[in-house]
Amino acid sequence: MSVQPSVPTVENDSLEDRLYTVKYDDPGDSHLDVKVPNICEEKCTTDDCIQVCPANVWREGEDGVPSIAYENCLECGSCRWACPYDNVSWEYPTRGAGVTYKHG
Amino acid sequence: MSDDEPTEEERRTVDDPNYDGAFDAIVVGAGLAGSAAALTMAREGLDVVMIERGSYPGAKNVFGGVLYTPRLRELVDLDEAPLERYVAEKRFSVLTEDDEVAVSIRPDAWNDPPHNDSYTVLRGEFDRWLAEQAVAAGATLVTETTVTGLVREGDRIVGVETDRPDGTLRAPYVVLAEGGNSLVSERAGLKSSESRENVAVAVKEVLEFPENDDAIQDRFRAVDDAGAAYHYFGDGAVGDSFGGGFVYTNEDTVSIGVAYRISDAVTGQPKPERTLNEFKDHPAVAPLVRDARTVEYTAKTIPEGGIGSVPELVHDGAVLVGDAAGLVLNSGIHLEGTNMAVESGYHAGETIAHAAEKRATSAAALRAYSEALADSYVVKNLRRYDWLTRTVEEDRDLVFERLPRALVDAGEDYFAVDNEPKESHAQRAKRRLLSAVGGWTGAAKLAFRYRKTIT
Ligand SMILES: Cc1cc2nc3c(=O)[nH]c(=O)nc-3n(C[C@H](O)[C@H](O)[C@H](O)COP(=O)(O)OP(=O)(O)OC[C@H]3O[C@@H](n4cnc5c(N)ncnc54)[C@H](O)[C@@H]3O)c2cc1C
Ligand code: SF4
Ligand code: SF4
Repeated sequence: MSVQPSVPTVENDSLEDRLYTVKYDDPGDSHLDVKVPNICEEKCTTDDCIQVCPANVWREGEDGVPSIAYENCLECGSCRWACPYDNVSWEYPTRGAGVTYKHG
Repeated sequence: MSDDEPTEEERRTVDDPNYDGAFDAIVVGAGLAGSAAALTMAREGLDVVMIERGSYPGAKNVFGGVLYTPRLRELVDLDEAPLERYVAEKRFSVLTEDDEVAVSIRPDAWNDPPHNDSYTVLRGEFDRWLAEQAVAAGATLVTETTVTGLVREGDRIVGVETDRPDGTLRAPYVVLAEGGNSLVSERAGLKSSESRENVAVAVKEVLEFPENDDAIQDRFRAVDDAGAAYHYFGDGAVGDSFGGGFVYTNEDTVSIGVAYRISDAVTGQPKPERTLNEFKDHPAVAPLVRDARTVEYTAKTIPEGGIGSVPELVHDGAVLVGDAAGLVLNSGIHLEGTNMAVESGYHAGETIAHAAEKRATSAAALRAYSEALADSYVVKNLRRYDWLTRTVEEDRDLVFERLPRALVDAGEDYFAVDNEPKESHAQRAKRRLLSAVGGWTGAAKLAFRYRKTIT
């Protein structure tokens, strides 16, 4: 007897379809600013950053330099550790002026 | 004070914040460690501000999740807390690609309070509640604000920079409770970035059962508030990577996930999302989550470097607590970080409160924090299991592949029902196990190598 799970799998359902709630999509959350400098193109023979990303948001560009779709980034930080060249600058972005404090 | 000079209350209005110097301590991050520190300091009469980058505490926090509560129970009234279930059963399974061998423990004592101090929680709810307890004790919470750096005067840390306009905030003490992705501490040179061998990538889903209200009770034998914590190792959990899978029961949902080393995630093992899906499809796991719907998908890294990765905890004007301080125990059998976060936050808070009485901010004055931690189970446990992780790493092929396979085959042999006598089944099972570990000599060596796990 084989077990037929009805939970979605990669084959029959893409991650995007399974993302009913991504915590980090809360309005007002500051999103991560992941930058990949040109050095990737010159040096890198791996695609470790792409391989490790649990949200599949890294894409290899036509020039071979990967980039990410920020809006679906889970901010897990894995790409930062995966890159063998310390090439992912994993920074929190700076908020623009005019925002007021909120506390409670 | 002249009449037109603003009162303290007015100075802290939302529109024109001027908190500078208004607080005794700044806590970076309102996770478990940060809230425990803030709560402790506020109760000791200090003016504390917690700065959290999420839209509320817990909005960004990811864990498996069992919350361990020995110290927390002393700090807050857990009867009021948003707990999901207590852990009534712990189960450890080794999985080959298609098979399972499991050991389960279900002591009746765990059904009685305090339930072995182990409760499943959802961090989005629990962290928010715990931060509220700190606020009720007098702390101030600022959300949607990211600390971008530390302010120094000479060697002394005297405040933080935030991403707010004019966002500098000064205070005599800074508690760094920013979790494992500790960019602020790293950038300030208080710790170095971990190597990828010491960091795990973890993916987790929360599943609900829209058409089956009894799924959790039935599948996990969970009566009333009782719940279960299932842990999985071996090929069927995370391939030949160093790590494992987990399933925890919440009140109406199930948390399921996998965690394994980043160094393995980039060499061979399929992507984390795919690994989790394969784990969910495993014949031993799929029936537990059948007909479930994913309501949340999250990911995070776990600092697993152990005691060797714990940085200097005490600096002039600042301390590191929780995951930011590398205080996570992952021995395979034990995955504990929540208790260590709270324990470290508590000791840091106590130490700062005492130092503040003397207006002392030097590292020497804050040393009592790292000493208290060294005396506590936190550092003792990390030391005790340090060798284990390294030894398992050396034996990973045996532990994650050969042994699970041999256990399954031996079990199949031992319980085989056919025309042969039991004795030959038992002999064959024994031979399988022995050949996996390298005969009697290998077994003896192995027993010696792992003796410290039970002594
Ligand atoms: C998949 C997984 C499973 C786990 N399972 C378990 C388990 O079952 N049991 C257990 O005991 N432990 C478990 N752990 C470990 C446990 O989650 C951590 O040890 C614990 O959450 C650490 O708490 P913390 O307060 O130090 O850090 P966190 O909970 O990470 O909190 C840090 C807080 O700081 C905020 N922050 C970060 N940077 C900034 C900044 N620059 N400015 C402002 N705010 C900032 C974050 O938003 C966050 O709220 C698990 C971990 C993972 C990833
Ligand atoms: S970020 Fe790192 S791993 Fe990714 S392509 Fe660039 S150099 Fe390679
Ligand atoms: S932080 Fe995590 S989710 Fe975001 S791009 Fe990097 S690996 Fe992917």
